[in-house]
Amino acid sequence: MSKRSQNKSHTRAMLLALVAVPALFAICAALQMRIDVDTLAMNQDKEELLLRSGPLLQKLSLGYESLLADIYWTRVVQYYGVRAHKPGATYEQLWPLLDITTTLDPNLMIAYRFGAVFLSEQPPGGPGRADLAVQLVKRGIAENPDEWRLYQDLGFLYSIHLKDYKKASEAYLEGSKNPNAQIWMKVMAARVAETGNELETSRLIWTGVYSSTKDEQVRRTALQHIHSLDAMLGLRRLNESSEDYWRKFGRFPTSMQELRDAGLVGGTLQDPAGYPYVMGPNGVPQLDPKSPIQLESQQGSGTLR
Amino acid sequence: MSVIPGVVAINTFREAVRDRVLYNLIFFALMMIGAAILVGQISIGIERMVIINLGLSAISIFGIIMAIFIGVGLVYKEMEKRTLYSLLSKPIRRWEFLVGKFAGLLLTLVVNTALMTLGLGAALYCVSRKFERADATILVAVYFILLELALVTALALFFSCFTSPMLSTLYTLGIYVAGVFAPGIQGISQFTSNWVLAVVTRFIYYLLPNFHNFGVIAEAAHGDAVPLALVWHNTVYAALYVLLILVASAAVFSGRNLK
Repeated sequence: MSKRSQNKSHTRAMLLALVAVPALFAICAALQMRIDVDTLAMNQDKEELLLRSGPLLQKLSLGYESLLADIYWTRVVQYYGVRAHKPGATYEQLWPLLDITTTLDPNLMIAYRFGAVFLSEQPPGGPGRADLAVQLVKRGIAENPDEWRLYQDLGFLYSIHLKDYKKASEAYLEGSKNPNAQIWMKVMAARVAETGNELETSRLIWTGVYSSTKDEQVRRTALQHIHSLDAMLGLRRLNESSEDYWRKFGRFPTSMQELRDAGLVGGTLQDPAGYPYVMGPNGVPQLDPKSPIQLESQQGSGTLR
Repeated sequence: MSVIPGVVAINTFREAVRDRVLYNLIFFALMMIGAAILVGQISIGIERMVIINLGLSAISIFGIIMAIFIGVGLVYKEMEKRTLYSLLSKPIRRWEFLVGKFAGLLLTLVVNTALMTLGLGAALYCVSRKFERADATILVAVYFILLELALVTALALFFSCFTSPMLSTLYTLGIYVAGVFAPGIQGISQFTSNWVLAVVTRFIYYLLPNFHNFGVIAEAAHGDAVPLALVWHNTVYAALYVLLILVASAAVFSGRNLK
């Protein structure tokens, strides 16, 4: 083939490639979107974890267990992130994944701390397995006895999820013995022991969680709880005002305006999401049905009529 | 229509057979016989599943090794042996030569895969003494492996057009591994709060050949059906992607100075 005809042929091939390659890439990308839909439908109910043994994976990692632990932690975050707050979501693989992660790298603090939050959240936000979360944090403490934050997490799990205020207080006290621990650990130990079941104490604990993490997922969860507790505190105050109204007028108020007119409440009567509180039957204040806030399980002295 | 690619393909196939490429079948046969004997002794209730998993994984791994190691030498070897010069002095266009080479290796892989599938079928029959309707998924899995091999072959051929076999192997293997883990790349785009990273990873996800699409070995082992739509979409996807790579290969190879 002559040089000239070869050049011509090359130019033709390059022009064809310049047009065809991007076009074919675009078609392939569009097709990939369809395939993603097909495979999603196929794998919807499938939760597979081929290797469940952390020690076995440790041996198979050929000395790269720390890297493998990071990869598994990423899987944990993705696994939880995809399911969190989806109705009907199951979290079967959450514990095995965390178990593997912390076996591969027993010093990966983030896996203990956030893993415990993920495990202990009630459905649909998590599997509601505070018992496993305690097991995870205790394992973390055994491997990292100098990490006072893990005692804070243990105290949090006992007080908020398991309502075992004695053990919670012990955990806070144990953690406070660490020279690096914040001074409020001692305060928490005393306060949980005395008034563990009060909404204010719960709020204090959740605020501690919120301010001690930079992880968006955990901060979001903590903020939801803080808003919920604030709403409960607001409702409790309104409930007390409603009882005052009954004592004064011999009947319950039928609206918030009546409470306001009687001078028993003032200011903006809104929940933390900005929705006004409404008066329910028998003078029981309630959240606006449109409010996104979900109340915590009725706890402590915040019991409403 | 030109018959030249067909002639090149047949010669490539003959050359592979002459090079004793199909000898890997002996190893595969021995492995399946060994597995069929051993599996009954060491597993309870999952003999079929083990045979299917092992057989399909072996078909895939053997095929990929062949596709990469033979594919990266397809063009380079012809240049090294200087047979390419005498070939291209005849009225053969460069793209015809490339398509012929691709088809020849694919034919080798199809024959190899077909024989291994027969071996897997025999081992499966030895273990359970029957075939079930759900076993049809095994054939779908084999078909998907062939689609995967076509893509790997095209990639190896593409790199073989402009670089050494060693680098071609690394590049092809790298893209294959990245393509297998494509959902992980997509996962980054879904969970990162950095929009630049999200856009970049999403772009990479769609740019890479997605080898994860072809992984239905677990479904075959469990006897789960594979949706017809997925078979159809994967076929078109692989065909278009192979066409894309061959067009790019032809463009690169046409500009290659062979003196």
